[in-house]
Amino acid sequence: MSLGELLRTATFRLTLAVVAAMIGAAALQFSLGYSQTKTFEFLRSDMLLHREAALLEGEKPQDLEHKIRDRATDDLRVVINQAALFDAQHHSIAGDLHKWPDGLVADGHVRELTVWPTEDAPYVLRILAVPVAGGRILVLARGLHMLDELRLMMRHSLLVSIVPTVLFALMTGVVLSHRALARVTVMHEAIDRIMDGDLHERLPSGRERDEMERLAGSVNRMLDRLEHLMDEIRDVGNDIAHDLRTPLARVRARLDRAQGGTQSADALRGVVARAIDDLDQCFSIITALLRIGEIENARRRVGFAVIDLQEIAADIVDLYEPIAEAKQIRLDLLSGNAPVPVYGDRDLLIEVLANLIDNAIKFTDAGGEVSLSVIRYGDGARLEVADTGIGIAPEERQAVMNRFYRSDKSRHIPGSGLGLSLVSAILRLHNAALTISDTRRRESRPGALFGIVFPPVPTPAPPPA
Amino acid sequence: MNATSKPDPSAPAQEPAPRVLLVEDDGKIAQEVAEELESRGFSVRHERTGSSGLSVGLGGNFDVMIIDRMLPEMDGLTLIETLRGRQVSTPVLVLSAMSAVDDRVSGLKAGGDDYLTKPFAMEELAARLEALMRRPNNTRETMLHVGPLAMDLIERTVTRDGVVIELLPREFRLLEYLMRRPNQVLTRNMLLEDVWNYRFIPQTNLVDVHIGKLRRKIDEPGATPLIQSIRGTGFMLRIPE
Repeated sequence: MSLGELLRTATFRLTLAVVAAMIGAAALQFSLGYSQTKTFEFLRSDMLLHREAALLEGEKPQDLEHKIRDRATDDLRVVINQAALFDAQHHSIAGDLHKWPDGLVADGHVRELTVWPTEDAPYVLRILAVPVAGGRILVLARGLHMLDELRLMMRHSLLVSIVPTVLFALMTGVVLSHRALARVTVMHEAIDRIMDGDLHERLPSGRERDEMERLAGSVNRMLDRLEHLMDEIRDVGNDIAHDLRTPLARVRARLDRAQGGTQSADALRGVVARAIDDLDQCFSIITALLRIGEIENARRRVGFAVIDLQEIAADIVDLYEPIAEAKQIRLDLLSGNAPVPVYGDRDLLIEVLANLIDNAIKFTDAGGEVSLSVIRYGDGARLEVADTGIGIAPEERQAVMNRFYRSDKSRHIPGSGLGLSLVSAILRLHNAALTISDTRRRESRPGALFGIVFPPVPTPAPPPA
Repeated sequence: MNATSKPDPSAPAQEPAPRVLLVEDDGKIAQEVAEELESRGFSVRHERTGSSGLSVGLGGNFDVMIIDRMLPEMDGLTLIETLRGRQVSTPVLVLSAMSAVDDRVSGLKAGGDDYLTKPFAMEELAARLEALMRRPNNTRETMLHVGPLAMDLIERTVTRDGVVIELLPREFRLLEYLMRRPNQVLTRNMLLEDVWNYRFIPQTNLVDVHIGKLRRKIDEPGATPLIQSIRGTGFMLRIPE
């Protein structure tokens, strides 16, 4: 991996941000410390100047002049850096200031002034001028060189401490970025292999539970699901091909024979009619598949409204009653007249009920019973379709929901094997849960019981104020 | 075509052939449809694109139009909307490979009067066209008289030659639909959609069983059968001359 790549990693950018924050913090610390020291030093200088001025004011004029002249040997030199005596016209009498500093007023207030000596560089003084006996003016000043030295020292120590810290942080950043980048590179390679078609490949995920591992874990779970779905699609594709091949082969054989043979017009019409029936079977499979696809894709719920499940159930029973009667099966609606509201699409729910009742009638023998019941269930609703037919074995209960699954027991009964897939697709769209169990209403046969629980009807959102 | 697919026998012989505008870009299907409809006494004008369909549809005086949804140059739904916008009220049957409920709804909302999905049986198409051209009279009449049958819509009673026939509510609804469309082929899908308001294709022969039960009540043994099965297509309430 290149340095540029390394420097572009999130880890390295994070390191840079930390370094910047460190430098900022140190600079802040320095400036705060310095300003505190400066304030303190000013106060101390001013106090010293005032105190010395008060002491010297009491001296006699000759003594004062003498003291100023001798200041070089005096301990005054240590505390007071400059001292001078001027006459009322600001002419120097004695001391080491030979020229009255610009802006100085003899009012007993300490000022900060820059003096410009002819032979030396200008420098800043805390300076105090007080009138003393004999019309003279005593000027005392204290330099800021200690403060300057302190500032220099602090700056040096700051640089000395910050440079290695920053270097160390940057090095850590580079190492960490390198590590992160190495893991990402491995992941990239894995993803490239997956994109090249190796669907069994997974992202590396070790035992560390950091965010990268968790992300890799999530992606792997997603890949598992995708692989499973792809397998399903492939299986479904094979099943479709198989289920379409059979009727199409029949059509082809019939037409082939009709073309070659010397059949009568009536016989030919019969061949054509049977061919049309076979093609219709193909179309019904295709239509059912398209419907399932459409429902599974359609997260849109345009047709959803609050509808009365009771009313739909009564309609369906009314629709199927003659069929049940013809097969000598009793079809009952076991529920009251009170409406049972659910939130759903009327057409789709009719399709669910029609499929379930259709199946129940199909798998129940003459003399059997099929019942449909709708009740309020908590805040939602529960719908049951029970029959006294052959039932569904517990191990097959999940499989019947899959496309094209047909139990061995039902092979001889016509149907596309897609009805229950359609039912479960529609119920998923409604967030309704489907369970299959035994009816056990008769000793000899288990019977199948399809129970559907619908979620509560959502309360309408309050109208915007 | 065989002898069973003659034009409607109850139609007056001198009536000019009904004119159909077929807008369909698939040449093969268009040819099949045109030949079939012409053999049934329709006069068919075929257009391949939406824009030519529009200019012909605006100019010609058609009795019914068949419009495919997906057309070159101008989409079928836009074509219908444009026609409706120019005050053309000719009944339109929308033809489409798209069968989703949403597609159906959008087709009808655009101004279509009926919707047929591909693949379709020619009989279904013809039956729906006939139904479109003779839209049921939704007049506020309270009595229906068709041949020997009389139906009182208020009292909910039915008589055949003055003899009362007891019907269940669903049988009454079905017979009412048939009596409003006598001598007209009604397909199973039309009955499911219009009588029961269902939009799915049941695997069992639901409609046949219902018609069978109704038939046993209407056509007593020995009497002229009124409800006839049309093989492979549907049913018809045929009124003897």
